[in-house]
Amino acid sequence: MSKIAIISQPDQGVLIDVSGCNTMQEASEHLSSTLQVSSQFWKGSNVALNLGRLELAPQQVAQVLAIAKGVGANPQQVFTSNETTKVSLMQNNVKLGDGVPMSLPNVSLDAQLQHDFEADEEAVDEISSGKTVEEDVTHLYETQESQDIADAPEVSLAEETDEKGESATKSPPLPAVLYLRQTLRSGQTVSHKGHLVIVGDVNPGAELMAEGDITVWGALRGIAHAGIGGNVGAEIRALKLQPIQIRIAHAIARSPDKPQVKFASQKGAGPETARLVDGKIRISKRNIE
Amino acid sequence: MSGRVITITSGKGGVGKTTASANIGVALASTGASVALVDMDIGLRNLDILMGLENRVVYNLVDVVEERCKLRQALVKDKKMPNLSLLPAAQTRDKTAVNSDQMKQLCAELKELFEFVVIDSPAGIESGFQNAIAGAEEAIVITTPEMSAVRDADRIIGLLEARKDEIQEYRLVINRIRPSMVKNNDMMSVDDVLEILSVKLLGVVPEDSEIITSTNKGEPVSGTDNTRSGLAFRNIARRLRGEDVPFMDLDPQNSTWFSRIVQFFNPAAVRV
Repeated sequence: MSKIAIISQPDQGVLIDVSGCNTMQEASEHLSSTLQVSSQFWKGSNVALNLGRLELAPQQVAQVLAIAKGVGANPQQVFTSNETTKVSLMQNNVKLGDGVPMSLPNVSLDAQLQHDFEADEEAVDEISSGKTVEEDVTHLYETQESQDIADAPEVSLAEETDEKGESATKSPPLPAVLYLRQTLRSGQTVSHKGHLVIVGDVNPGAELMAEGDITVWGALRGIAHAGIGGNVGAEIRALKLQPIQIRIAHAIARSPDKPQVKFASQKGAGPETARLVDGKIRISKRNIE
Repeated sequence: MSGRVITITSGKGGVGKTTASANIGVALASTGASVALVDMDIGLRNLDILMGLENRVVYNLVDVVEERCKLRQALVKDKKMPNLSLLPAAQTRDKTAVNSDQMKQLCAELKELFEFVVIDSPAGIESGFQNAIAGAEEAIVITTPEMSAVRDADRIIGLLEARKDEIQEYRLVINRIRPSMVKNNDMMSVDDVLEILSVKLLGVVPEDSEIITSTNKGEPVSGTDNTRSGLAFRNIARRLRGEDVPFMDLDPQNSTWFSRIVQFFNPAAVRV
């Protein structure tokens, strides 16, 4: 389970889930650093907060609510399984959530590489001078070998850290995943310090920004920027990759200019992933490199 | 009896909001309903020209809002249809002349007097648009089958979605489509547009040179049904009233010399 998650479903509103955190301090830290989605995201939605097993005193509850309100998210109900917290919530006049809060599907996260971010002027020149993305056609139909699975990065589970009180591995803290089930329309932006998953389309004019990977379960037709902060291992994947521009870390690319049938009647290319190879953005059909 | 307040908007300019407002208004009035047309394009008013009423305007919307006249005095009755009235915009002011609260009040007043209040929104996403949707419960988004118009329509739909507590229903009208270009893959098809916008379709209006004539004459095409665009607007009005009207068959006719002659004599000859 990740430390913090934001889950949205069209009929159930949005849930800010900090139940993966061990202490109040952790929750506040993660909350303040992670809640940086564009304010349009919160408008008109039904926002709830899940505190899990965290034990909070009344002033700590007020603190958490203040952080959320600071970014425009006003939790209308709060879920908790801790009796002390229930009392603190009632003292703050907060409505207790009824039923079961939404939860994330199980997710395996890659360890992040931390690099210093440097602006890359070359990339901007290239894109305006006409160099385009190269398609990795030779590997289209290779099947995954068993060694791919053995090479998969270790998953460090929150349960282990609970017992030991410190990270089981020395990897940097697990990034949160922002999981949105909606279509993003032109003019809407989402930015997130972690992995980003959109179940829906991303229309032209919409922008996605993430420090981790970007996954679109739908058509990506807008602009996506993954690996902000220098994470060159970040990937962008979509069921239909037809973006205006793709950016990974410092590199920018746009889809090929060659005359293609512009409209939906074209035979789709299927799900594709864009990743940085030797400093250039490449698109391939392989799920895992 | 509380009327329906419908705003016609698009984001992009020049896609046919004012034309659609005039024609939908006339078509609704032809079915017997009482209709008020409201021009919210303050400073650049056009709806009065399309309706042919520009020389009958005495007071306008800004006069009503600033209480220099009563609402009744500003409403201009249509030349041909007594159940259709126009509330014109001001030509000498600009969009800052009214605010959302004033609009909400005005819409509340108009709702009590008319079965349909059709509001023509200006282009853009700023205060003009915000004022136009302030009192509305429904919206019609107009777009042409072009990437730029669709992009702007998408933005507008996003803004309408964010107000789902006020605006309960919004639907799409695709305007100025050319079936022959669509067939040659030179123009987006209805499905292409719907794939990006994913919103309920209210109607499709074909490109029609009759619109230009009607604008200059001040007689909206939907007054009669002998033009293809007029027929499309009349169908839209019927769908607004709840009827289930099948979409016109817009396949380009076979361009034989015979069919072209037939079309010359009867422009609305629609093949089934």
